[in-house]
Amino acid sequence: MELDPQIAERRDYYRKKVIDGRALSHLVKAGLTWLRTNQEIVNALNVFPVPDGDTGTNMILTMQAAYDEISNFEETSFSKTIQTIAHGALMGARGNSGVILSQIWRGFARAVDNNDTLDAVAFAGGLSEARETAYKGVVRPVEGTILTVIKDISHAAEEVISEIHDPIQLLETIVNAAEESVERTPELLDVLKEAGVVDAGGKGLFFILEGMLRYIDGQPLDKTIATVTPLSELILDESMESIEPGQDWEVIVDFRCNQELDINNFFSELESMGTSIQFGEGDSLYRLHIHVPDENYYLPENYIKELGIVTRVAKENLVDQIESRRPAKQESEPEISPVEPGNIGVVAVVPGSGIAKIFASMGVAAIVEGGQTMNPSTEEIISKFENLPTEKIIILPNNKNIYMAAKNAAELSNKQVAVVPTKTIPQGLSAMLRLVPDGDFDKVVSEMNEAISEVETGEITTSTRTVEIDGVKARKGDIIALLNGRMVAATENLENTSLALLEHANVQDYELITLFYGDNVTLEEARQIENAVRQKYPEHVIEMHEGRQPHYQFIFSIE
Amino acid sequence: MLKTAIVTDSTADIPDDVVREYDIHVIPNILIIENQNFRDGIDLTRSEFYELLPNLKNPPTTATASAGSYQQLYENLFNSGYDQVISLHVSKEFSGVLNAASTAAQLFKSQVFVVDSKSVSLGLGFQVIECARTALETGDINTIVRRIKNLQPKIRLCAMLDTLEYLHRSGRVSWARARIGNLLRVKTFIEVKDGQARRIEDVRTRKKGIERLLFYLRSHGPLEKLAILHSNAVHEANIFLQAYNNDLKEIPFIVNVTTTIGTHVGPNGLGFAAVLK
Repeated sequence: MELDPQIAERRDYYRKKVIDGRALSHLVKAGLTWLRTNQEIVNALNVFPVPDGDTGTNMILTMQAAYDEISNFEETSFSKTIQTIAHGALMGARGNSGVILSQIWRGFARAVDNNDTLDAVAFAGGLSEARETAYKGVVRPVEGTILTVIKDISHAAEEVISEIHDPIQLLETIVNAAEESVERTPELLDVLKEAGVVDAGGKGLFFILEGMLRYIDGQPLDKTIATVTPLSELILDESMESIEPGQDWEVIVDFRCNQELDINNFFSELESMGTSIQFGEGDSLYRLHIHVPDENYYLPENYIKELGIVTRVAKENLVDQIESRRPAKQESEPEISPVEPGNIGVVAVVPGSGIAKIFASMGVAAIVEGGQTMNPSTEEIISKFENLPTEKIIILPNNKNIYMAAKNAAELSNKQVAVVPTKTIPQGLSAMLRLVPDGDFDKVVSEMNEAISEVETGEITTSTRTVEIDGVKARKGDIIALLNGRMVAATENLENTSLALLEHANVQDYELITLFYGDNVTLEEARQIENAVRQKYPEHVIEMHEGRQPHYQFIFSIE
Repeated sequence: MLKTAIVTDSTADIPDDVVREYDIHVIPNILIIENQNFRDGIDLTRSEFYELLPNLKNPPTTATASAGSYQQLYENLFNSGYDQVISLHVSKEFSGVLNAASTAAQLFKSQVFVVDSKSVSLGLGFQVIECARTALETGDINTIVRRIKNLQPKIRLCAMLDTLEYLHRSGRVSWARARIGNLLRVKTFIEVKDGQARRIEDVRTRKKGIERLLFYLRSHGPLEKLAILHSNAVHEANIFLQAYNNDLKEIPFIVNVTTTIGTHVGPNGLGFAAVLK
């Protein structure tokens, strides 16, 4: 393939320079910038139909923490710079992809222990060690993820290293290998195939590497070249503002055009229907965003059907959306009773102020805000317990995406830290019941581990895409139920989904159902569901609490 | 041989036939409901009390019998031919009985020995029974007291409170120490050790609670003596005992616990007092 002469010139220019710490610093910044530009694309690749761990955001925060460490760094040694990066990445690592990313940096840094500059051979060696370290960091490595991508690119580098002696050419090779590897991830991981996406973490790694190459090639890093303008960029902040009359619905139409689109004509037609018109295009795919009044509910899609093939229509009731997003009431900090010196201190990662209060009432020593969509970093977790007047710390991650960060926090701390691998809020509460603050540390940890299995967790949320998972079909916008992490029901209605969840959970075998209602339901709505549950299960003890967790209308604890 | 009288209070929960068999003298604690005084287990049966309890607007309070009634009893005992008295009572952390008895005892120089059992219910009751048996063998006060002191470390008392509502209402939260502000409804496990109650864990369901109680009971290994304690949950107490299903030398007691405790723990509590082998 012929290179663009301008690019070829730039590469020649860089080829004459050595890759030292400074150069690495520029490359890292480029990778971070390009990842940030493509953040929404990575985020949109959530494999699960719930708003998952914001992979893109997590990887950015991880990279940002890495870059922060070197942004004012005077060091020119490559190895010293990358060691500092690796440290920053680890401390800032959020979410599983972020943690694996930090392991990739760590492995690379270890391999180039004494190099002041980087050559192609050291580059390839670094990638191999990065792969090894990344795999070792995961208890049960899953293929079709960022792990596969680092594996594939390190193999690609090993294959060509006898022929290629130029680090820039090697970078180009691995960028291509990364792209191919990402495309293959759905073949390796069914959940990706079912959802029709590639792996988000792998894609994020690709963007970091591609950003580095784009920097060398002098290509812009601030504008995405991806197919469609991401939805969230289109709607931006305006949906939080008060709505003017005539903005009852947000309508988004994706379509393919049969003919050349006459933009002027197109816009004037749309302006007669509604306001807040935005339009994105790429690869012959178009996305239209518009706010329309009730009476024009069908107009945009009907009009676009005349122009081409509509591939997707999404509508949202803006009035309702804004009502539900409005902050309900003043939040008050949960009251945490201080841990007695020398007693066991529990650190719980908790989404939502209501749930935080409940954990506080049960005697946690510290609360880290976080959950499904906001994974706290290793450093945030550590900072919560480093200053507690005790050496005995137990971390309850309460989410599988936070487990690795918690584990790292435990390893990095000098205190005696145990992670009890709670994956849900009910599991975390169940573990808390066994806390004996002045008890024997190992005994309390083992009791807590035992308590995890004594509760069933139900979660109710809105599907963010149309998928079929675990044999259940959900359309975008459906209310779906997860029982212990598996999707068991999807209906259009909160009550039906909630009751279906309880049926799947064999509730008749249990005694107590506790509901924690989220930020996205009102107390009235919550009461309705509570009453429906009471009516259906009159023999059971039903208890409801304000959880204020985001995204999940309800978390059910069944025991 | 010196003739020793055994005195205790009604929180010992010793069944009536045993009281009669060993000639144990029991002074009832006082229960005050809507300004009316009732003698624990006498003027109002325990089951009557527990049925009444949830419906009372004002939480009942408890009081110890007066120092005067202890003085009266001791005097009567000396008048009827006893040479000395052992007065063994509920932990001073739970009740003022020990104070009342000690005050009365001062009037009798060294003939009345007041001892803190550091326990309650049959945790106290088993000590009293052991004391009464020993007194049949010997009049040596040192031997009798040593027997009690040796027994105390072998006593285990553990109970599940069905609700924390009554503890809150009565203001005796300190009994369970800390973490009683739980927002979730829980059933709290209390252990009585060294005269104090201490929370050991919480559970959320009754079924789980009974499993855990059984777990705790079995964890103590072979037992010398056992009593199942309940606050108006005799049916469950029986089922629990069956589930335990271990041969014991003596038939376990099943007792509806003293209102002095019951006022604070409320109905449907379940627990055990045991003496280790």
